[in-house]
Parts: sequence; structure tokens; C-alpha cells
Amino acid sequence: MESLPVLFYLGPLGITATVVTTWGLLLILALGSWLVTRGLSRDRPGLVQTALEGGVQAVEAAIEAVLPGRGSLLLPFIGTLWLFIALANLTGLVPGLHAPTGNLSTTAALALLVFLSVHWFGIRATGLGPYLRHYLAPSPLLLPFHLLGELSRTLALAVRLFGNIMSLEMAALLVLLVAGLLVPIPVLMLHIIEALVQAYIFGTLALIYIAGGMQSGPDSSFHRSGPSP
Amino acid sequence: MAIDWTTFALEVVNFLVLVWLLQRFLYRPVREVLARRQAGVTRTLEEARQAETAAAELQAQFERRLADWEAEKAHLRAGLQAELEAERGRQLQALTQTLAAERERQQAQEAHRQDQQRHELEGQAIQVARGFATRLLSRLAGPELERRLIDVFIEDLAHLPQERLAELDAAALGEERRVLITSAFPVAEVQRQRIAAALNARLGRSLALSWAEDAELLAGLRVALGPWQLDLSLADELDGFAQAGNHGG
Repeated sequence: MESLPVLFYLGPLGITATVVTTWGLLLILALGSWLVTRGLSRDRPGLVQTALEGGVQAVEAAIEAVLPGRGSLLLPFIGTLWLFIALANLTGLVPGLHAPTGNLSTTAALALLVFLSVHWFGIRATGLGPYLRHYLAPSPLLLPFHLLGELSRTLALAVRLFGNIMSLEMAALLVLLVAGLLVPIPVLMLHIIEALVQAYIFGTLALIYIAGGMQSGPDSSFHRSGPSP
Repeated sequence: MAIDWTTFALEVVNFLVLVWLLQRFLYRPVREVLARRQAGVTRTLEEARQAETAAAELQAQFERRLADWEAEKAHLRAGLQAELEAERGRQLQALTQTLAAERERQQAQEAHRQDQQRHELEGQAIQVARGFATRLLSRLAGPELERRLIDVFIEDLAHLPQERLAELDAAALGEERRVLITSAFPVAEVQRQRIAAALNARLGRSLALSWAEDAELLAGLRVALGPWQLDLSLADELDGFAQAGNHGG
């Protein structure tokens, strides 16, 4: 096992380049959000505001397509997943930087958050008892398989994103080594597409897992209007 | 590649912080703007619906007023028509009466005019007849005719009523018993004596007679006694005929 190089220590914590890059992304996203939402107008939206509203509504619509009536509840988590992973994946295009999602620690952290979110939203939607009982359905004998499935899909989430982004960077590096400067643009375009596709896949899978958790209870109906208490 | 647990933990924290930051600076402001806009659109739609409802109410009110106005107009028109009919009847009646009165007045005027015209024609006819008779009698007149008229005069004088004689007698006293006797032709002495004798005998006293001639008499005598005169001449008879014709017509 290769350990990550530590850039500096913050107390007892060794800060790696991945964390610094993530902080940079946090700063960019937070600052950018603050800047573009400073002067939102109700009656006269500009071009940027229109694009921003369109993006937010598109994410909410995608969530509503899977979980009707839960768009506002899941928008912060799912939207942030898509935005952060897409931006993190694209970071690899910047010379001298590596995508944080090319690090298994980051993807594992995201997968863990998805894992926890599934149970959090599931328990909120159905209650603790009904939610836990769905692991015993249709037969208690299937409990190990349920648990195995939870772990395996979480692991798959982390490894899929990590593997794809790491292999993408490695493939690009190999192509550049072999072909020199003849193919940088196709490789960059492939990188962009792959980065966006992987972000979409991760976020969509997270949404589907959460939806499965929220719909697991016997009296859970997400077609009813209004969020659950 | 191995998992660096510090990085793992920091990435968990980083993502949660990012979720909070984006919720605070991105999702919430955008959703609030969208909600405000949606509320504005809803309010505008509600206002439009209210305006539509008000417009429909106004239209219904206008149509009701229009219907009321039409009914009132028909009522007023019927009343006016009735008044016009009554007024027309009154006017026609008044006009009929006026026409009848005018017709009567015209008929009276026409009758008067015709009567006057007839009277004038009769007068003219009498004058014409008098002219014819005058011309005819002028040709027939002569001493012989006058002598016969003197005989008739003496005969009429003998049959003169008593009250007329009294009047003549009174007149003869006031004029100093002077009597003017006018004839168309010279009267022979014999005839004069017959006339004087007849007058004296009838009035009972002797009268002073004076004699005159007037061809206008055509033939006959005119005896003037004060304001009274006795006529028996063709001219006087023709005048009497003409006057009788005028008064009789």
C-alpha cells in the first residue's frame, strides 16, 4: 500500500494534496455561489441567473423524477454530489493538479456519506422500525444478503469512481507518453466526457440508493404530497 | 492505493461543509428567488382571475342594465305611442270640427255671395227690364195715353181710402192749398177742369192748382200736395216696379 504524500501538518493531522485541492474546490464553489447569488432578481434575471436557475431546476427535476415530492429535501446532497464530483473530476485537466476523486480516500468518504444518507433518509421517511424490518423482508434469511448488498454497493461506488478517474488519468498520461503532443485535444475531450459521466453515474446511483431506502418501509409512499416529518 | 484515514475523515468533513455552503449560498437563494417568482406569477394569475371575474360581473351587470334599459325604452315607447295616438285623435277631432266650422262658414259665405250676386243680377235685370220698358213705353207714350191715365187717376182718386184723404187734407191746409200738378204732355183745359173738380170734390175745398210739364214722366200725372204726392205716370210706375223688384228679391 502506497501512502499519500503529506504536504504539511495541521496539528496532528497530515494534510495531503487531495485535501488541499478539495479545499480549493470548496473555496471556488462557495465563493462562486456567493458571487452569482448576490444580486438575484425576481423580475429581471440575467443570463447567469437564468443559467443558474435552469441548472438548479434541472437537478431538482431529476430528483423529482425518481422521488416525486422530495426534490427540495434531496437537492442539497444530490446536487452537491454532482457538482463536487464533476468539478473534482475536471480538476485533473489542470496541469500540476490531480483530481481528488482519483484518490480512494475521497471516493470512499463520498461512498460512506451516501451509505449513511441512505439510512438517514430512509429512517426519516419510514421510521426506524419499519426501515430496519425491510432487511428481514421477504424473509429473515435474506438479512445477510441485504447487508452484503449494502456493503458491496457502497464499496462499488467508491471503487468505481476511484478506478475510473485514476485509470483515466493514467491512460491520458500513457497516451501522452506514447503519442506526444499529437492527441492532447481528443484526450482532453475524452477526459471531460468521462468526468461528467462518472459524476452523473455516482450521483444518480446515490439518488437511487436513497430512493430505495426511503421506499423500503411498508407504509412509505413517496407519491404522497409533502415531505415526511 | 491505500486509504489515508486522515484524508478520508477530512474529505467527509469537507463534503459536509460543502453541502452546507452550497445550501447556504446557492440552493437556498436560488430556490427563494424561484419561490418568490412563482408566488408573483401565482399572485398575478390570481389577480388576472379576479379581474376576469370582475369583468364578467361588470359584463353581466351591463347586460342587466341594458335589458332594463330596453324594457324601460319599450315601456316609454308604448306610452309615447299611446300619447301620440290620443293626441292624434284629439288633433283629428279638432281639425274635423275646424273643417266643419270652416265648411259651414264657407257655405254661409258662398250662400251670401250667391244671394248677393243673385240680388245684384235681379237688380241689373230689373234695371234692364226697366230700360226696355221705358224705351217701349216712351214709344207708346202720347197725349192719348196720358188722357186715359188722367181718367184712371180721377177714378183712383174717387176710391182713395178715407185715412189717406185725411192725410192729404192736412197737408193741403199746411201748404195754403197749393197743389202742383206735373204732366208729361200739355193737359187740355177740359182735362184740367176734370182734375180740379175731382180734387176739390174729394178734399172738400177749393185748391189752387199750378201746372207743370216734365217729359221724364213719359205719360200721366204727378200731384204734389205739401209733403204728399199722388202719382199716376209711367215713370213712377216703372220706378215703383223697379223698387218692388229690388225689395222683393
